[in-house]
Amino acid sequence: MQTSFDIAIIGAGPAGMSAAITAAETGASVVVLDDKPKAGGQIYRNVADSPLQDPNLLGEDYLQGKALLERFENSPVERIQGATVWHLGDNGEVLFSKDQQTCSLTARELMLSCGAMERPFPIPGWHLPGVMSAGSAQVMLKSDALVMDGAIFAGTGPLLYLIVAQYLRLGVKVKALVDTTSKSGYIQAASHFGGALSGLPMIQKGLTLLAEIKRAGVPVYRFAESLSVQGEEKVTALQFNCGKQQHLLETEHLFLHQGVIPNLNMTRSLGLEHRWCEQQLCWKPDLNEWGQSSIDSISVAGDCSGIVGADGSQMMGKMVALNQLYRLGLIDREQRDQQAVSSRKQLSRLNSFRRFIDTLYRPIDQHRIPSQADTVICRCEEQNLEQLQQGFAQGARGPNELKGLTRCGMGPCQGRQCGHTVSELLAQWRGERVEEVGYYRLRSPMRLLNLTELSRFNRISAANPPEKKVLAGERR
Amino acid sequence: MRSDVLIIGGGIQGCATAYQLALRGVSVTVLEKDWVSRHASGVNAGGVRLLGRHLSEVELSKASMALWPDLDDELDADTGFSCRSLINIAADETDMEILHGRQQQMHQRGLHHEVIIDQKELRERLPHVADFCVGGVVSETDGYAIPYKTTLAFRNAAARQGARFVEGVTATGIRKVGDSWLVSSEDAEFEGEYLINCAGAWADKIAVMIGDNVPLSYSAPMLMITTRMPHFATPVVGAVSRPLSFKQFENGTVLIGGGAKGFADRDANRTRLDYAKLAGGAKNAIDFFPIMKSASINRMWAGLEAYMPDNLPVIGKAVNADKAFHVFGFSAHGFQMGPIVGQVMADLVTEGSSSFDLQAFRIDRFERKVL
Repeated sequence: MQTSFDIAIIGAGPAGMSAAITAAETGASVVVLDDKPKAGGQIYRNVADSPLQDPNLLGEDYLQGKALLERFENSPVERIQGATVWHLGDNGEVLFSKDQQTCSLTARELMLSCGAMERPFPIPGWHLPGVMSAGSAQVMLKSDALVMDGAIFAGTGPLLYLIVAQYLRLGVKVKALVDTTSKSGYIQAASHFGGALSGLPMIQKGLTLLAEIKRAGVPVYRFAESLSVQGEEKVTALQFNCGKQQHLLETEHLFLHQGVIPNLNMTRSLGLEHRWCEQQLCWKPDLNEWGQSSIDSISVAGDCSGIVGADGSQMMGKMVALNQLYRLGLIDREQRDQQAVSSRKQLSRLNSFRRFIDTLYRPIDQHRIPSQADTVICRCEEQNLEQLQQGFAQGARGPNELKGLTRCGMGPCQGRQCGHTVSELLAQWRGERVEEVGYYRLRSPMRLLNLTELSRFNRISAANPPEKKVLAGERR
Repeated sequence: MRSDVLIIGGGIQGCATAYQLALRGVSVTVLEKDWVSRHASGVNAGGVRLLGRHLSEVELSKASMALWPDLDDELDADTGFSCRSLINIAADETDMEILHGRQQQMHQRGLHHEVIIDQKELRERLPHVADFCVGGVVSETDGYAIPYKTTLAFRNAAARQGARFVEGVTATGIRKVGDSWLVSSEDAEFEGEYLINCAGAWADKIAVMIGDNVPLSYSAPMLMITTRMPHFATPVVGAVSRPLSFKQFENGTVLIGGGAKGFADRDANRTRLDYAKLAGGAKNAIDFFPIMKSASINRMWAGLEAYMPDNLPVIGKAVNADKAFHVFGFSAHGFQMGPIVGQVMADLVTEGSSSFDLQAFRIDRFERKVL
């Protein structure tokens, strides 16, 4: 296999697949690295070989991915599945683990499409065993047909409703849906209704899901606040308020979800410029209209550029690929602009609908910025709010200083679970904007790396990747 | 605003110096271009090491070591200091010969803190050491501390004594006008009677502004740390002639160093890692401690550090200016010396001299007399 390419794409979700298809069509040499056994990303996980008897129960949107996946698998692209990228260099170097071996390749252009992750839900007791994210419920369902009977689902956002509906269609009992979507979310969202009209079919989908859940007889608690997980060794109950009414629901399984945020570890480790997005309450890499980052040869597409959804990711992947083809001299400016027209139009339509979603399902402050002293912030190093406050009092004003003093963010997740919380907390304590506070300075390896594997790595021999793949098409 | 002393650089040397001066009632301002402990002082391996010091450093290092055990009380803070002993492992008989040669030199000078151990004792102290290792040398007083916490502890203690810290201010110009040192930044000017250059990897630039040339270089020594492992090593570990250095912290994580250097871009405050070299460090760790085979690396990083051609620091008076001093170039082993260096500098400023022999650390030691 060759070890240098025109374009290396990290992540084979909707953005990565669509970029790969576009780029390969025009004759660029493309490699796609993906950490899962099969392409599809989180959204289209196992779409072509679902373990479920009737994958139709997962819904139309899910099955839509099949067509994209097929096109991807038929395009002349080097696909490396099961590859954990642990280092990306601003010089186009890619180091990745596959079959316990470190391999390297280089590319003129890098495209990051490593998707989103669920927003942390730092409420009292969220670290207890038995508390999982709704996303992990979906992963278990899509890849292993595993479900939890009698669980409570709590939080806000379309994905939460979707997984509850999917559970119900499979005949799994759901104890309750505790909906934290706020009244002010509804009021604010109404003012964005103009934007939402263009996405009317999608609103319809959301409403249908909610109706389906109610019809199935699942108790739905709306406008829930002050969530707190009860239990000593593991979760025993969820406590929350609806208005002045306090509720306590017993459960052994609790799934939390309050939207998704970009998966930042790669863009951060690369040292790309980022900015804080108030609409989506998350950090985003700073990109131009073609997804190009502060380093020209590195572009970002899909949810890791800011949440755009599966369809938006697909559009963006195409646009980024067109721009990279232009940069590589394989198409001219006019071709790029012209071929991007319809994707750009659709993307902008989707984005105005996204504003509506972001406003409606905006996670409330108290579920993002903890106020109880013993609420765990950093799960890896078990640092709670009080310990961080002490670090701040000792003079650690930024995330990196706080990390040095308290170990918050030093564990194996590299701050994925606490980074946003820490940025927002410090902004609150300093009385400044999140933008001024910043984020952790991240480093490779982006994933845990086995010492033996690293010890065998040397630049010269590591250029031989583990397996040879037959290309599905012609290469220029 | 005028202070008695201006210090440029908020690393451990600058903070310790500020602390000692403030203790003596001297007014101090520390100018730091980023934030205190941002570079080498905050991200180094935390080794508190007396073992294997260059002969001209031994006295300073010994005196500093005597301060470490009481540092938490003195600074009213937690530096994370832990006395664990440090063992340099001999991989073969040639290494043992090197150790015996060194011991002879040390004994001649009346120094007995480094003790050679045989294979049996090595295994008792480090049960997981590889079979091929034949012995080693141990220093019982050595250990580690948490660098960021230690530097911050000095800073906070200094601040409590009245020292002023100004962060995010880069010294862009230095002049001597009459009895005053004037240090200007983009939008401010600071004034002091004395000036101390503690600017680490940027110290040659400050030295030039003061009037002294110095052949400083800078680099990016790299480190990596594992996730938590079962406890297997109490002492801090080094090797006599191979680039190996690691320590297992109380929480089980293992820090692997060894001096391999990445690439430093000091103008951009950035470092780049050299993964092939880190791979070499990984191999050494596994060779010496097979239990490390299954370790998972959690983080890798590098700091920006200043090096001198002879790997010895510059400590002492400026040559071409009055009432100016230099403290930098510790060449990746200055952390342990921080506590004593603070005292030495305070002595130089307030007494005009130090009880230590600082000859080997003169800034002009590389000046060629004749061409």
